[in-house]
Amino acid sequence: MSYKKEDLKIYWSKINYAFPILNDTIFSDCGNAEYEEIQQIIVGLGIQIKIRDLVLLHIEKYLRQHVAPSFWSKFVKVEEDEKGFQLFKSAVNDLYDAVANFSGMLQRLTILNNSCNDSKPIYAEKDVISGFKQLVRATLLSQLPLDFQVIIESFYKVSFNVFDNEYDKEDMGEDVTCSGCLNECSDCNCMYIVKVFHETNKKLMELQLLERLTGQVLTNFIQMRIESHIQKLCNGTFDKSHIGFLETWLDTTVMSWLTRIYCGGSSKPSPDDKNTLNAILKFKQKLSYFLYHSYTKLRIDELFNIIIEYPDSQPAVDDIKICLEKTDLRSTLCKNLQSALETRLLHPGVNTPDILTAYVTTIRALRHLDPSGVILETVTKPVRNYLRNRDDTVRSVVSSLTEEGAGSELAEELVKFAAETDGDSDKDEAWDEWNPDPVDADPTVDSSDRRANDIISMLVNVYGSKELFVNEYRTLLADRLLAQNAINTEKEIRYLELLKLRFGESQLHYCEVMLKDISDSKRINALIQQDKEIEILNKKFTSNAMILSAQFWPPFKDESLELPEQIKRHFEAYTKSFEGLKGNRTLSWKPHLGNVNIEIEIGDKKLDLTVSPFNATMIMYFQDKPEWSIDELHQVMKVPVTVLRRKITYWQSMGLITEKTTDHFVLVDGSDGNKPNVASNQVQEMICEDDETESVMASAHDQREGELQVFWSYIVGMLTNLDSLPLDRIHQMLKMFASQAPGTECSLQELRQFLDTKVRTHQLVLQGGMYKLPKT
Amino acid sequence: MKVTVKSWTGVATWRWVANDDNCGICRMPFDSCCPDCKLPGDDCPLVWGACSHCFHIHCIVKWLHSQPQQQCPMCRQDWKFNNK
Ligand SMILES: [Zn+2]
Ligand SMILES: [Zn+2]
Ligand SMILES: [Zn+2]
Repeated sequence: MSYKKEDLKIYWSKINYAFPILNDTIFSDCGNAEYEEIQQIIVGLGIQIKIRDLVLLHIEKYLRQHVAPSFWSKFVKVEEDEKGFQLFKSAVNDLYDAVANFSGMLQRLTILNNSCNDSKPIYAEKDVISGFKQLVRATLLSQLPLDFQVIIESFYKVSFNVFDNEYDKEDMGEDVTCSGCLNECSDCNCMYIVKVFHETNKKLMELQLLERLTGQVLTNFIQMRIESHIQKLCNGTFDKSHIGFLETWLDTTVMSWLTRIYCGGSSKPSPDDKNTLNAILKFKQKLSYFLYHSYTKLRIDELFNIIIEYPDSQPAVDDIKICLEKTDLRSTLCKNLQSALETRLLHPGVNTPDILTAYVTTIRALRHLDPSGVILETVTKPVRNYLRNRDDTVRSVVSSLTEEGAGSELAEELVKFAAETDGDSDKDEAWDEWNPDPVDADPTVDSSDRRANDIISMLVNVYGSKELFVNEYRTLLADRLLAQNAINTEKEIRYLELLKLRFGESQLHYCEVMLKDISDSKRINALIQQDKEIEILNKKFTSNAMILSAQFWPPFKDESLELPEQIKRHFEAYTKSFEGLKGNRTLSWKPHLGNVNIEIEIGDKKLDLTVSPFNATMIMYFQDKPEWSIDELHQVMKVPVTVLRRKITYWQSMGLITEKTTDHFVLVDGSDGNKPNVASNQVQEMICEDDETESVMASAHDQREGELQVFWSYIVGMLTNLDSLPLDRIHQMLKMFASQAPGTECSLQELRQFLDTKVRTHQLVLQGGMYKLPKT
Repeated sequence: MKVTVKSWTGVATWRWVANDDNCGICRMPFDSCCPDCKLPGDDCPLVWGACSHCFHIHCIVKWLHSQPQQQCPMCRQDWKFNNK
């Protein structure tokens, strides 16, 4: 079959009429009936496949050269969101129209394609329309400009403001500007914005471009809004729970806004639109995870402050508790809090009682946060290590335990513990409250230990052993009992009872005897005062005594002091009287302990002072002879020269003694020209406490060292027989030998410290983890 | 300058006047108390035997109760309380 040239020309122009794209235009008046004829011509010529492919090629070219560039030309960087909003709107509108203009041609192309019968996919799709849409998307995305997100962001920002405002109208008040569109209220643009917003989303949805074009921008934008909303709502306020508010906000504002985007303006997707339902659901899951995550992170950053404000901040702690279950931030929390504690607490600028207070609130807050105790254990490890290395930790714990009045957290805790043990004690391990340990729990620690530990034991454990802690308490008590004449023994006994509940009878039994010594002393002292000989001596001054049961008191520092003769005479008489009172018993005096009430007359002034026996003795010697060299003082007082030099400063600071030349001291007496400065008004007639606050007891460390010496002969014996041993083996063997006497239990750590001092003093050699005796 | 002592409060520790430091029965220091007691001194006194050995009273009484013969655990002489 052959065609005339003219016919072919007519056919071609008809085909061009049906598919104007072949001439790079879109518009055509070609109706359905007209195309019917043209279709038959094409089929008649058998060129349907060729024409189809040619048309597709031209469409592709047209999209590439006209539609996509014109669309993207509107995606520029703009300053004002309002402008960006308009640009995006018109870009989408124009694109939508441009695509719509293809519809007639696409209809015809569909018919043509159906006649091809080659079932060739059109741009990977089964039919022309889908293939075309695919092509539009692909062409657009292949030309994506760099800053395309700017106006999209503007668009959603402007519309979100309107929505956020809708659910947050209470503070509108008398504002003249609408906080939705930021126009003046009289000129409010919100309605328009909402309309455009819905139309635009609908068009994007139809073009199947919504997700591709705006997905990332929307996600970023919403996440940003969530973060700023959390900051605005929650930052620094810990006394309210925020989780509920945040969830509601996410539901009402964010999700309903998103739903409207996905559903072209309606507030709910139609129930059979499974795709949209799913997309929204997924988005919501993603966002609520993000919400919890951001909120938790904020709280983790603030956790140190939250803890310091606990229990006022309990609502915030409750929130974190909920959030930790929904996020994976446990280890972040531990790490951050640990470093916050380290930088804000554990340095020389913070004093020990403050560290202890913070530690106590940390324990309380973290207990509440994580009843399993695992977080607490992990986070506070550095605090415990740090406290262990501070000299005054035990002392601070003990004094805050026995401190009276408000503010002493620990004293309260002690009383609380006593109250709890009065009640039923078996309730804390109730089965129905039991939960398994979290996965990050240290499996070597028994979980019931972790839970049952109360605050005081945690503090006591800081220092290693209960024994050491109790010893320190004993030393403090001893100092207090000896320092104060009018000690409130009743109060001390009350505290002792509380401590006994806490630490057990046997540990504190010694302290009980100490307190009894003090009250017994008062009674015996009163009896002795009635002794005839004492009565005569008392005409000059009264002598009293505190009589102690040496075995029950902590060891005293050994200090020598030779008392003046008249004092010794008093003490001898006192001893004799005591011996008469208590058959077969006698007294050993500790001359440097006690206190002395003296009156010093100088010129026309009188000083009433309570001083240590040392200070009293020294000033009495200066009364006898106004000039002393340090060696002469050493001769009569039997006190080492270094101690004399240190202690004479008391009288120097009082202005009564001055160092004339090196180691040569003279009394500053009012009688000769140089007036003592004590004559000034404020010291006159004053009652002055001796400011010697130093403990008279051997320090806990010295004491413990002394106790461990008991082991030394065992250790030497072992090493002589067995040559060399590792630490834990020595520890095991000592345990077999150790008696039940208090203080002879010894932890591995203590033993290591003890052995280390022996290594330092060359009494032991440590080689490859084995202790040996040095070769002689 | 004139120094007048108004009162002097001294500190002393008490101890038993005995020819040993520890009780031969319980091995505890005399100035401490026997294992059955909590308070030393008046509440857990010492007693002397005619043989001049001395013990916590509670220790020797317990000892004598547990023995068929009333002998001092240190020197095996017949035990007699010495009321000195
Ligand atoms: Zn005994
Ligand atoms: Zn007894
Ligand atoms: Zn005997």
